[in-house]
Amino acid sequence: MRKMLAAVSRVLSGVAQKPASRVLVASRNFANDATFEIKKCDLHRLEEGPPVTTVLTREDGLKYYRMMQTVRRMELKADQLYKQKIIRGFCHLCDGQEACCVGLEAGINPTDHLITAYRAHGFTFTRGLSVRAILAELTGRRGGCAKGKGGSMHMYAKNFYGGNGIVGAQGQIFEAYNMAALWKLPCIFICENNRYGMGTSVERAAASTDYYKRGDFIPGLRVDGMDILCVREATRFAAAYCRSGKGPILMELQTYRYHGHSMSDPGVSYRTREEIQEVRSKSDPIMLLKDRMVNSNLASVEELKEIDVDVRKEIEDAAQFATADPEPPLEELGYHIYCSDPPFEVRGANQWIKFKSIS
Amino acid sequence: MAATAAAAVTAGRLLRLRAAGAEGHWRRLRGAGLPRGFLQPASADGDAAQRRQVAHFTFQPDPEPLEYGQTQKMNLFQAVTSALDNSLAKDPTAVIFGEDVAFGGVFRCTVGLRDKYGKDRVFNTPLCEQGIVGFGIGIAVTGATAIAEIQFADYIFPAFDQIVNEAAKYRYRSGDLFNCGSLTIRSPWGCVGHGALYHSQSPEAFFAHCPGIKVVIPRSPFQAKGLLLSCIEDKNPCIFFEPKILYRAAVEQVPIEPYNIPLSQAEVIQEGSDVTLVAWGTQVHVIREVASMAHEKLGVSCEVIDLRTIIPWDVDTVCKEECFLNLEAPISRVCGYDTPFPHIFEPFYIPDKWKCYDALRKMINY
Repeated sequence: MRKMLAAVSRVLSGVAQKPASRVLVASRNFANDATFEIKKCDLHRLEEGPPVTTVLTREDGLKYYRMMQTVRRMELKADQLYKQKIIRGFCHLCDGQEACCVGLEAGINPTDHLITAYRAHGFTFTRGLSVRAILAELTGRRGGCAKGKGGSMHMYAKNFYGGNGIVGAQGQIFEAYNMAALWKLPCIFICENNRYGMGTSVERAAASTDYYKRGDFIPGLRVDGMDILCVREATRFAAAYCRSGKGPILMELQTYRYHGHSMSDPGVSYRTREEIQEVRSKSDPIMLLKDRMVNSNLASVEELKEIDVDVRKEIEDAAQFATADPEPPLEELGYHIYCSDPPFEVRGANQWIKFKSIS
Repeated sequence: MAATAAAAVTAGRLLRLRAAGAEGHWRRLRGAGLPRGFLQPASADGDAAQRRQVAHFTFQPDPEPLEYGQTQKMNLFQAVTSALDNSLAKDPTAVIFGEDVAFGGVFRCTVGLRDKYGKDRVFNTPLCEQGIVGFGIGIAVTGATAIAEIQFADYIFPAFDQIVNEAAKYRYRSGDLFNCGSLTIRSPWGCVGHGALYHSQSPEAFFAHCPGIKVVIPRSPFQAKGLLLSCIEDKNPCIFFEPKILYRAAVEQVPIEPYNIPLSQAEVIQEGSDVTLVAWGTQVHVIREVASMAHEKLGVSCEVIDLRTIIPWDVDTVCKEECFLNLEAPISRVCGYDTPFPHIFEPFYIPDKWKCYDALRKMINY
């Protein structure tokens, strides 16, 4: 008996000693795709909405997971750098809202145009800029996407018009709704409803919190913004609506941000830690995608962990670069004010200080 | 409305002058409009009967330009139409939009353009200045040449945020990745005799401290067409203010073909050696008259400069560096009072040629 037990244990320990989980991965058969049910969207002035089931392929799933994880880690790294005073100024983080930016990108083409407000790091990444360029812009260095002059709120890329620090008050939105509807412009208006406007909860700020209905004559959808597949399907639906020439449409993404409004806002003076914790444990977008993929055999836990490790490394490298890259030279203070040829002189703080402005 | 003369004329003095005039004067003021000046003889009762608007300036046309080809007699609004016509013909991405531009505009600056170029290129917007400029910025960023009209300069303030915070800073904040340089905003500007608070304003000063935009004001049809074409072709967002009182009053020979007058270059209309008078828009004609009055009555030689571009302005033409040490009298400004632009008091508010002449006299005697 003991001999048999010893033999069995030898075999078992031999199996356990097999090198790297790569071998395990290769030997598993993953499903190619899986069908998931998603929440039905609330509709305004629409007969039918996006589908309630969707197919996620393994490839897409891994891609979305990686992108969301990158955005999450990038935001957390930005938080860290800010607390170390390497990033200064304004910094509005979007961790918790990853499903919005990644899901949106999944539903549109790279040739479509996107413009957003100040919580823009996630969109900057999904629109194609590297984490290096983003972090370097946050730290205000030459390698940044706006050469270090724009900072957190002014990042731009091809077909991505920012990143805007100044944002429209309600009046401007309604003017835009009117013009878009009047001229049937193919425009999706998106409200990332994270339940708070800075420090004011939506119940205290809005006479009607059904933002997807606020377009009035513009049809709208209310979407679960923590579920990336829901966001993707809704975006596809909205994009198809616009492309068919029917005019503008509104999308309200119900989402949540874990951080405060900006780095100077602790985020707990107007909401409870329990609330944040609850959202994190029940509706975290990355966790939801991971659970779905693992449970339907689209990926394994180890594989996803590997992606995590890889992403962490990428972010670490980017942070290194962002910290080490030199700042733009002082001469650039005057650049690009005007497009001017030949360069002209910009008045400085007193009459003997002059900057050259080239463009 | 500024010119270099003293702002020392007080409201009190004006009231005394007014009371000293005959009763006929006062009745004439109330009924008909602007007097040519306070020193007009009361026997001009023929004017009272006619009740015509009499302006505070006399438009002085420039000689016919010969270097740009065939010319045609045009007033200011026709010169603007001609410039817009040239732009839409040359540049297939050019579009004109604003309130009521489709039928020709409230000042007829866009007459005929919609018929000629189609409703996709000349179209009306809803009543939303902020939306007009915001929309203009958007299409300029995508590469179209956007020519926006704000119906009166007085209405530009809802769009102030868009102009100052968005348009002016677009290139700078994106590190030259994007820009809205192909945006031009045109707007009727300045006093017109009966405009009162909201149809007479000259808001260029509010924009004069905003790096990133250019503000241009012409004095005549010939200047207007050349400067407007330069603004449209300039790769920076420009605001072009058109003195509305000159729309019909200013008539000149203007070339039919497109031509450019450079921005940020002031024009020395008349050279002089004793006093420099600087103005822009309608006021240039006032100071031209002041210059000839000064020459006749005081034997003073005035240099008359039309600034043309308010920002970035031509510092070198107006004053050489460190000129302060060489001035023999302090610089003066003659402008409207620190009140909102009045309705019934407009004749007293305008910095007319007498106020400017008075300031000039004080400077000479300093």
